[in-house]
Amino acid sequence: MKLRPFRLSLLSLSLLIPAALCAVILFLLIYSAPAIGFNGFGFVSGITWNLGDLYGDPVVTRGFTVPNGANYGILVFVAGTLLSSFIAILIAIPLSVGAAIFLAEAVPNRIRPVLSLLVELVAVVPSVVFGLWGIAVLIPLIGHYVSPSGNGYGLLSASIVLALMITPIIATTLLDALMQVPKENRESAFGLGATHFEVVSKAMMPMVRTTLIGGIVLALGRALGETMAVAMVSGGALNILPTSIFSPVSTIASFILTQLDSAQSDPTNMAVRSLAEIALVLFIITLAVNAGAKLLTSGALNVRKRQS
Amino acid sequence: MKLSNILSRSTALRSGVAALALAATVATTSTAHAATTLVETGSSLLYPLFNLWVPAFTAANPAVQITTTSTGSGAGIAQSIKNLVQIGASDAYMSNALVHKNPNMLNIPLAISAQAVNYNLPGLGDTHLKLSGPILAGIYSGKITMWNDHAIRAANPGVKLPAHKIIAIHRVDGSGDTFIFTQYLSSSTPSWASTVRYGTAVSWPAVADAIGANGNSGMVSAAAANPYSIAYIGVSYAAQAAKAGLGVAELKTADGQYVLPTPETVGAAAASVVTDTPPDERISMIFAHGSNAYPIANYEYAIINAQQPDAATAAALRTFLNWAVTDGNAPQYLNQVQFLPLPTAIQILSKTQIAKIK
Amino acid sequence: MSASASLNPARPARSLRELRRTIFSQIGWIACGLALFCVIGPLIDIVGVVAYHGIAAFSGKLFTTTTNGVSGGLLNAIEGTFAISLFGMLIAVPVGVGAGIYLSEYGANRVGSTIRFLSDVLTGTPSIVLGYFSYIVFVTSLGWDFSLLAAAITLAILIVPYLARITELALRQVPVSMREAAFALGATEPTVVFKIILPGAASGVMTGALLALAISVGETAPLIYTAGWSNFLWNGKFTHEPVGYLTYVIWTFIDQPNPQSHALAFAAAFLVMLVVLAINIGVRLTLRRNRVI
Repeated sequence: MKLRPFRLSLLSLSLLIPAALCAVILFLLIYSAPAIGFNGFGFVSGITWNLGDLYGDPVVTRGFTVPNGANYGILVFVAGTLLSSFIAILIAIPLSVGAAIFLAEAVPNRIRPVLSLLVELVAVVPSVVFGLWGIAVLIPLIGHYVSPSGNGYGLLSASIVLALMITPIIATTLLDALMQVPKENRESAFGLGATHFEVVSKAMMPMVRTTLIGGIVLALGRALGETMAVAMVSGGALNILPTSIFSPVSTIASFILTQLDSAQSDPTNMAVRSLAEIALVLFIITLAVNAGAKLLTSGALNVRKRQS
Repeated sequence: MKLSNILSRSTALRSGVAALALAATVATTSTAHAATTLVETGSSLLYPLFNLWVPAFTAANPAVQITTTSTGSGAGIAQSIKNLVQIGASDAYMSNALVHKNPNMLNIPLAISAQAVNYNLPGLGDTHLKLSGPILAGIYSGKITMWNDHAIRAANPGVKLPAHKIIAIHRVDGSGDTFIFTQYLSSSTPSWASTVRYGTAVSWPAVADAIGANGNSGMVSAAAANPYSIAYIGVSYAAQAAKAGLGVAELKTADGQYVLPTPETVGAAAASVVTDTPPDERISMIFAHGSNAYPIANYEYAIINAQQPDAATAAALRTFLNWAVTDGNAPQYLNQVQFLPLPTAIQILSKTQIAKIK
Repeated sequence: MSASASLNPARPARSLRELRRTIFSQIGWIACGLALFCVIGPLIDIVGVVAYHGIAAFSGKLFTTTTNGVSGGLLNAIEGTFAISLFGMLIAVPVGVGAGIYLSEYGANRVGSTIRFLSDVLTGTPSIVLGYFSYIVFVTSLGWDFSLLAAAITLAILIVPYLARITELALRQVPVSMREAAFALGATEPTVVFKIILPGAASGVMTGALLALAISVGETAPLIYTAGWSNFLWNGKFTHEPVGYLTYVIWTFIDQPNPQSHALAFAAAFLVMLVVLAINIGVRLTLRRNRVI
């Protein structure tokens, strides 16, 4: 086979992308290996994140040198991540479905580009600006009018902010799909005497169901990895599972962000490695969700092609 | 095709070179001044004082540029050890294990500070609540959940306390304030000392509705935003806490009195450890014995690596730190943050340590 | 025969069931309109709040002085954001565009699909995981300390997949006939790519670059543990020298309990939003003009 230097140089540039990804994965695996050994299966089920006695002398526990009493459990953060993301999805689904339907069917053709542009723009607002708005507007609002304890920081605020960030993902995916529904399906539904709304809800929506689910799962993947906005409004809970929608929570991403510095107070370095293990857990969760989303969206495309 | 002409490869190459040239020009004009840059990070308690010191020091020493950041004492210690920053500000001295691992590190007191316990109780007026270490330990471990708990009422006869849940606010970042606060709880309450102990980061017991805040400023905002909350806040934020309507508690000393953090009470706590302070200056004055000695007072440390990468940085550090413990200890700076100057004996010890920076 | 027949006020509803359907449909539309309002409303509010407080903080000093503790100006942060984004793009654009070219021209095989798949996985990686990785590997293990290079590399890893994907899509839109004509005339592969295909897809590639720039300007988590923070202008050192950036101001200064810091946080947010929105609106309007939507 002839050596093609041009193609080879392009290929080597392209291979830098998988190389970077593999570097990150390998690093996480290798760096967290001692922590995985020390923490075992109790890592994901443990509620207490205990750095141990940082001012005492390190001891040897289960074969590893760690501060006395160190015990790393991340159930609180896994719960916070999953709860805030799922509640965000629950809020986002009706909002995005409604918005997409309204944009696809009820808005005049000339205004639609403007409004759909506005919906897309919600997705590009940086996370930290969402957090700023959350602190300035949302938290006082929830604290004064909604929360029984007067505390605005918590699961509800985090979920609302996340919902606003992921709604455009679902809405734009659904809008594109609705616009591509074949005219015959709409017209035959009208021909059977359905109202305009019924045409949309009963004839068009079932056709885009798989795309909708794909969009929802994609949005879930984005919500799980969100860091800044959630860190600014979630209330920083430690060692306690949330009991109500107003309870402060911590997500995995916001925990890594706020704890990396204090984990370094551990002279045995086990805390930093446990953070690597948490990062690995988050990476695996988002990877699984995004892979699922890809399967669903690509599967949907195949279905539509066959029909049209 | 006009766009393609504009964006042909040669033009792209030219603009890339132009960008690099611009960057190089910026770089050379900046390095022409050849100032030594020092980066300080760490304690949010010491942060307001550093922000007062740096402009005054830079005015007299323009060749030294100092960046200040507030990340918490845990970060100050950790990053100074790794040489990510030159000055690690910390309310907490380094642990024995860390000193053992990093024998080149110096803990240099720059001033004496204290910490208040603030609360957001609407309708309390000007009365100061009396709180003790065991009461605070009970609140932060979830054993005392209501403001009108009998323990709090016993300490505050005649004060009308609301029947409302206490919202306990603690720091989530590695914090020197957490260190001195938990040292107070450990020294005064044996059950806390055997379970939670003290440190810049502790495993806070599970308390319903407890809020985690970042930095002293985060503590002030969280306490201000949540009625019926309690928080431990450094005295350098006393003005902001007062403006936010937070009350200051009178804390129970080792000798049984209830005192506010004032220059007299904090000075009494500092005086009790002056003669005991060792050459490496790592000592706690928490829960000190002595008449009216405020129970949460501490040295504010600069955690410095005695081995600096180059002579210019070492010289700049020595200049700044010597300035800080002498001119910087003047009332015009310390009064703004409610700190106290170092006693002469401690100043001498600090200067001895500063001289070790090479 | 359309649905309006059943909603025609001149013609009364035939039955209770039809009345019920009509009412439900109307409620449905109102609910959908409300949903759209709830999606767009917060955007308007965010832009409004940030603009209101941000512009109130504007002064000549903002653009000419550096931050000093918790007040001052934003010059160092603006320059830092510019420097970090510039060098991030300098690293990312060759790799991303090169990957895009490879994937579109020669990537219809298993190697190509593997690269595409892994690139998508990289897009889904949370930015804090990348920041953590860079902190441990570049900042501490390699000893670069907080530095422009560590920040630029982290940003580049974040944006390269987007550049690759958009470049590939843009190049695919160039008709195959152009390539075939060029080959027929005897052009070599580099000539075909650089002189024929890439110029033809130039606007698409520029779009990708601009969108990647918008992402870089707004990122925070990957930079917190790599760039550090500096109160001063960048002095040209790529390692061992922290750099300031606008999103840091937003993240930390809003927590300081004084109004000057809050003003700076909003001013920084306004500048960031300005750049991000300008780029995105411009890009999307251009795309729509070229493809009728």
